Amino acid sequence: MKRWRTRILLFLAVLGPGFITANVDNDPNGIFTYSQSGAQYGYELLWTMIPITLSLYVVQEMCARMGAVTGKGLSDLIREEFGLRVTVIIMALLVLVNFGNVIGEFAGIASSLELFGLSKYISVPICSLLVWLLAVRGDYKKVEKVFLAASVFYIAYIIAGVLSGPSWHTALLDTIKLPPHAVWGNHAYLFMVIAVIGTTIAPWMQFYLQSSIVEKGITAKNYAASRLDVIVGSIFTDIVAWFIIVACAATLYVHGLGSIQSAADAATAMKPLAGAYAFLLFAVGLFNASFFAASVLPLSTAYVVCEGLGLESGIDRKFKEAPFFYWLYTILIAGGAAVVLIPNFPLIKWAVESQVLNGVLLPIVIVLMLLLINRKDLMGEHVNSRWFNIVAWVTAIIVSILSVMLMIHGGS
Amino acid sequence: MMQERQPMITLTSLIGTPVTDAQGQLRGRVADLAVGTGDEAGRVMGLVLKARGGRALVPATDVRQTPSGALELRPEASPRPLADFENYILLRGDLLDRQIIDVHGRKVVRVNDVDLQWFDPATQAPSAGNLTATWDLRVREVEVGMRGAVRRLLQGLLPRPGIDSIASRFSPRVIPWDFVDMIEVDPARRVKLKIEHERLAQLHPSDIADILEELAPAEREAILMTLDEEVAAEALEEVEPKLQVSMVESLDSETAAAIVEEMDPSAAADLLAELPEERSEAILEEMHPEERQEVEELLEFREDSAAGRMTTEYVAVPVTASVGEAIQALREFEGDVETITEVYLVDADEVLKGVVSLARMVLAQPDTRLDVLTEIHFHTCPADAHENEVAELFDRYNLRALPVIDSKGRLAGVIEADHVIAFLRADR
Repeated sequence: MKRWRTRILLFLAVLGPGFITANVDNDPNGIFTYSQSGAQYGYELLWTMIPITLSLYVVQEMCARMGAVTGKGLSDLIREEFGLRVTVIIMALLVLVNFGNVIGEFAGIASSLELFGLSKYISVPICSLLVWLLAVRGDYKKVEKVFLAASVFYIAYIIAGVLSGPSWHTALLDTIKLPPHAVWGNHAYLFMVIAVIGTTIAPWMQFYLQSSIVEKGITAKNYAASRLDVIVGSIFTDIVAWFIIVACAATLYVHGLGSIQSAADAATAMKPLAGAYAFLLFAVGLFNASFFAASVLPLSTAYVVCEGLGLESGIDRKFKEAPFFYWLYTILIAGGAAVVLIPNFPLIKWAVESQVLNGVLLPIVIVLMLLLINRKDLMGEHVNSRWFNIVAWVTAIIVSILSVMLMIHGGS
Repeated sequence: MMQERQPMITLTSLIGTPVTDAQGQLRGRVADLAVGTGDEAGRVMGLVLKARGGRALVPATDVRQTPSGALELRPEASPRPLADFENYILLRGDLLDRQIIDVHGRKVVRVNDVDLQWFDPATQAPSAGNLTATWDLRVREVEVGMRGAVRRLLQGLLPRPGIDSIASRFSPRVIPWDFVDMIEVDPARRVKLKIEHERLAQLHPSDIADILEELAPAEREAILMTLDEEVAAEALEEVEPKLQVSMVESLDSETAAAIVEEMDPSAAADLLAELPEERSEAILEEMHPEERQEVEELLEFREDSAAGRMTTEYVAVPVTASVGEAIQALREFEGDVETITEVYLVDADEVLKGVVSLARMVLAQPDTRLDVLTEIHFHTCPADAHENEVAELFDRYNLRALPVIDSKGRLAGVIEADHVIAFLRADR
């Protein structure tokens, strides 16, 4: 009795930055992409989940390791090793990309609560204020606990997936075998494969994770626990993604409802097919994911930019001690919320374009990370192993292809 | 003299500048500046040229600025190869974009640019712009604000005057070279460069602690190792507990023991209690028997009890002592005198008999017996009292210090008001 309780407690104690970061990645954009792939192609994209989990783990583990060994954030390291100009360019891109994402998160909040009949003119201002207060009023330990609690709500998607009554046999089989040759010639299918990869690994995550590791005071000595945290986070995140695809495959795809416009559409369309509970869970899951990501993204952006430019940062400091940090944080939230409130704002178009920027920035960030983590003078014995390098390079190359394709696609 | 200053030269504008010989032949480009340390602190010992044959060093006095802004070697100048082992600070390699400690502002900042100045080596006066004389180059200040950043971002994109006019709109934030404390992680190089953190050591321990908290673990360790043990101990006491533990864990036991010995015994015991057992035993092993015993006794107690919070550094005198004798005891006291607010009277069995505040003692004649001056109702607490009870006593009776007694009434230690504040804040 006591043994299993200690075990659960130990497991929970390990959860932290890695788990949070991986989960925030299942934001409205991610949920939309997963829903759409399930709605359009049924179970045929599930095979991507295993390689994606591997990539996600490798890239995140690199960040966690760099944070633990060097005790510095990623933007700190970029600044020290690649100079001011590279840093400023990356920071500017990151602010832009993340602002786009923040808008996406608030749009997710708006549409998820609209499913319950709450106008966005009420939900968005209230939620943005709550998000803002969370970091400004709380200290890091408390904020992390709130985030961890929010991560658990992703289980809603797992339950929704179960309620949708999928064909477990087909789903599991499609997860471990490659799809038939025929689909590889289909451009739309390929595009969807790459979009799923692209939405799972985002540039901001690397910065956020490494800063959290540093702020938590994790060092090379007590790093083993953080590696476990990253593994558990990556796997859990992709299990959630798997269930989202499965839920949509079992309902929307099976009934031929291939086209959805937003993540909230998926929930609405699911209602008559899988019942009110599945709808409810899907909608609550979406709200949780949006709110959660909206809390983390502006915070992460403010951290990274201040770090890279050498300004005071950290939510453990007071507003006066770190004015730029808090102003940037505030503007990202207020701006993101304001954009969503503009009537008839072209959210879909914006979402695609911010994904393109994501795709442009991510390979750059991964390449810089690879250059840093393979340096003996920085990392000592903790440099990358050959397999990590291979997986990370392949990820960077595939994401580069994604961004080029998205640009061509977006242009046409 | 101040008005005669030439337009400022920045590291950014110097880097990449072509250097020609007297015949106008290109000999290389400026890659870095080598700056002296110790007695030669701040003096540019040479320009590092990136030439075809590798990196070469040429003294600043062997170079002159032509009216076009390019640099020209004097006819007699001879650049020599730069070896890896030379003891210079390289401004670009070691300083640019790195973190330094602003000793005056008491914080950690990042270097955006370095400002330099030509001066006359004979008179030590700043150069007045006479380009035919032999000038030397010196570091004046380090830029950490927007001005330096903007200048660097624009370098190479706009002509020099354009950059200067844009940069001048941004507020400068500079740190004079004398207030710059470099962080060098490599111990061998640190010794060679004579980096000793003398100015840093003069800051208040709390400020040093804040600076340490800002740094990465390797940098913290590097600084902690070079500080005098007493200063290191005081700073360490002020660092937040979690970081304290990780900092001590990164030191070898011998160094850690030397620092822990200098700490207040109660702070040392708190710290050691947080360490893994083998680590704290290894550190205790290295300590002097006397300090070790004191700390070990404190380690016996629960951390949240009165005894776990008390210090064993206090001043106790026989109950028969006079004011003069008490003052003598204070003079001989080896701990931190500033924390003492009262003197304790004990009998032959160490049983607490009275408490005399320093203020009362000062007002009394030297030959007055202390037991006359003792508070009638002095407060004590048992060693196993919970820390919350201790806090209540402090609040209720407006105490500055509280003696802790064992089951036989003997004085075991003293809790100071700042210890109470520390744990109240920690519990928040």
